[in-house]
Amino acid sequence: MAELSRQRRFVTPGPDETLEQLALRALPDESPEAGADLIRSWNLHIFAMRRPPGLLLGSDVVFVEPPLG
Amino acid sequence: MFDLIVRGGTVVDGSGQPGFAGDVAVKDGRIAAVGEVEGEARRVIDAAGRIVAPGFIDPHTHFDVQLLWDGAARPALEHGVTCVVPGNCSLSLAPIKADDRRRVVGMFQQIEEMPPEAFTTAFDWTWEDFAGYRAAIEDGLSINVAPLVGHSVIRLWVMGAAAQERAATADEITAMQDLLRECLAAGAVGLSTSFVDVDETGRPVPSRFAQFEELDALAAVLGEYGRMLQCVPEFYATDITIARIDQLAELSLKHGIPTTFSPLFDTSAVPDNAPRAIARVEEQFARGARVWPQMQTRPIDISFSLLRPSLFFARLPRWVRVLRQPLDQRLAALRDPDTVEKMVGDLGPDGGEAMMGRLIVRGGDAAPAGLVGKTLSEVARERGQVPARALIELSLENGLDVAFLSASQGHQSTDRIGPMLAHPLVHIGASDGGAHLASFSTYGDTGYLFSEFVRKAGAMSLEKAVAKITAETADIWGLKDRGRLAPGLAADIVVFDAKSIDRADELPAFDMPGDGMRYVRAARGVDTVLVNGEVAYADGGYTDSRSGVVCV
Repeated sequence: MAELSRQRRFVTPGPDETLEQLALRALPDESPEAGADLIRSWNLHIFAMRRPPGLLLGSDVVFVEPPLG
Repeated sequence: MFDLIVRGGTVVDGSGQPGFAGDVAVKDGRIAAVGEVEGEARRVIDAAGRIVAPGFIDPHTHFDVQLLWDGAARPALEHGVTCVVPGNCSLSLAPIKADDRRRVVGMFQQIEEMPPEAFTTAFDWTWEDFAGYRAAIEDGLSINVAPLVGHSVIRLWVMGAAAQERAATADEITAMQDLLRECLAAGAVGLSTSFVDVDETGRPVPSRFAQFEELDALAAVLGEYGRMLQCVPEFYATDITIARIDQLAELSLKHGIPTTFSPLFDTSAVPDNAPRAIARVEEQFARGARVWPQMQTRPIDISFSLLRPSLFFARLPRWVRVLRQPLDQRLAALRDPDTVEKMVGDLGPDGGEAMMGRLIVRGGDAAPAGLVGKTLSEVARERGQVPARALIELSLENGLDVAFLSASQGHQSTDRIGPMLAHPLVHIGASDGGAHLASFSTYGDTGYLFSEFVRKAGAMSLEKAVAKITAETADIWGLKDRGRLAPGLAADIVVFDAKSIDRADELPAFDMPGDGMRYVRAARGVDTVLVNGEVAYADGGYTDSRSGVVCV
C-alpha cells in the first residue's frame, strides 16, 4: 500500500469527554491545564469560531499539534 | 420501428472519445442503436449541427422538497440535467416521524432558504419512511432522481431530541444500521453526513454529534450494498479537509465503498487549499481508497436583501438573529437606533468597508434606478455614512426590497480552476441545486462548464467535459444504467449547440410556494432533453412527460 505523507495529527472526542480529559489523553506529557490551553490554541474552529465556543462534538477533528511548517 | 431517432448529430457518447457523426435510436425508453441507424421511427429529432450526448448528472442537490410539486426540478432539466442526487449534507425528507417534521423543516429552511409555505401549502406530507417519500415523488417525475438518505434524519428517527445532544448508544447505532438498510432497500443511493451544517437556531445538525464509530457502523451497511457516503467537510480549513479525506479513505478501504466530499473551493485567500486537498486525494487513491472531491464550476456570487436571511451574514450572529425575525419585528429592530448601532458596531472600526464596501446594488427590485450598479462604498460616501449603516437605511427606505450582489467571493480564477476540473480524480458537481434559493442561482453550472472551461479557456475538450458530467459521474455513483450513449442503457439524452450552450444571466424569480423568491438562470443552447426515451424539454418549453424514475 502506498505511503501517505505526514499530515497534522488529530483525535476525535470520546463520548462526554471534556476538553481536559481529551488533553490528558492526547498530550499526556502536559498538565491538564497546559494541555487544554494548547488544544484551544490549535483548534480555533472549535474554540473561537463555534457558537457556543468550545462545544465539543463527537464528530470534531481536534488537532493535537500546531500546523506543520 | 423505433420510437424515436435523434438523427444527423455529432454523437459524444460519454466515453471521452472523439465525437462522430451518427444517429441515436430509442425504443421502450432505452437506447436501441448508436451510429448510422437505418429504419424508421415514430418521431425523428433533427440534430444536424448539434451535439448528441448522454443526459448530465448533478451529484449534489437539495431538490428533496421541490420534487414534491415540480418533478422536473426546474430549471435544472432545461440545462440538460437528466438525473439529480438530492438528500445531501445529512438531510433528506425521509425517514422522518410526523412529530419531528417541524424540527427537520427548520434545518431545511436553514440550508435551502425555502419559504415556510413550501412545507405547509405545497404538498401533503403523508409519509414517514423512505419508501413513502419515494412513492410521493415518483409519479410526478420528469427527471431521474438518485436520492441519498441523510444521517441527521436517521439519527433523529432513532434518538429523538437526543440526536442533537449526545453520542449514540450501541443499541441506537444498531437501530440506525437497520434503518439505513431499510432506506437503501427502498432506493437510497447512499448516505449523506455533515460536519458543518447548523439548524435554524444555530445548533449543529444531528450528524455532527456522532462519534466516528457511529459513522463507521453506518459505512459498514453501505458496504453491504456498495453504496456512496457523501459528506460536507469544513471546506474553509485545509488541515481539517485533509483530516476528513483521511477519515473517508479509512471508511472506503475498510468497507469497500465510494465516498465523496463537497464542496472543494479554490480561493485566492488560501491558494494552496484545493491543491493540497487534491494531492491528499491522489495519495489516498494510490492506496486504493475512493475519495472523490466535488468541485463546482461557477464562481461564488452571493446576492441578498434584508427581506430574508442570507448566507452573506453567516459570520454576523446579531444580523442573523435580526433578519430571521418575522417582517414586522425585523422592521422594528432595524428602526431601533440601539440595535442598529450594535449591528454596525459588529462590522468593526471600518463600519463594514472591508466586508460590504464592494457590494453592488442589483436591479430588478425596489432599488432606486440611480443606484443600480454602484458599489455600497460609493452609495455610503454619497450619504455620508459607513457602508453597514447605508445598507440598513437604504433598505428601510425601500421596503427592504433592495438586493445587493457580493460578486466573486472565491472560486473565480478560470486559469486555476480549469486544470483542477479536468483532473481525473476531481468530480465535477457541488451545484447545490435547489438550495440557497435567495442567495444565488444553483442552476446552469453545466452550461458554464462548456462556455467558460471548454470554449473560452480550452481547459478540456468538449468530449472530456461531457464525460466528466455523464459517464464518469455515473461510474463514481454506481449508476450502471446511466451516463453513456450505448445500446441497452436508459435513453437519457441531451441535444445541444456546442457553440452556444451556456447559462443565462442570474435573475430573481417568484415561483416558489407562497410567492417565494429564488435566483435562477435559464439555459442557452440546449435544444432537446430526453429522459428515459421521452422528450421532457424541447423548443424552449417543458412537455407533460413524466418519464423520470428513482434510479440506483
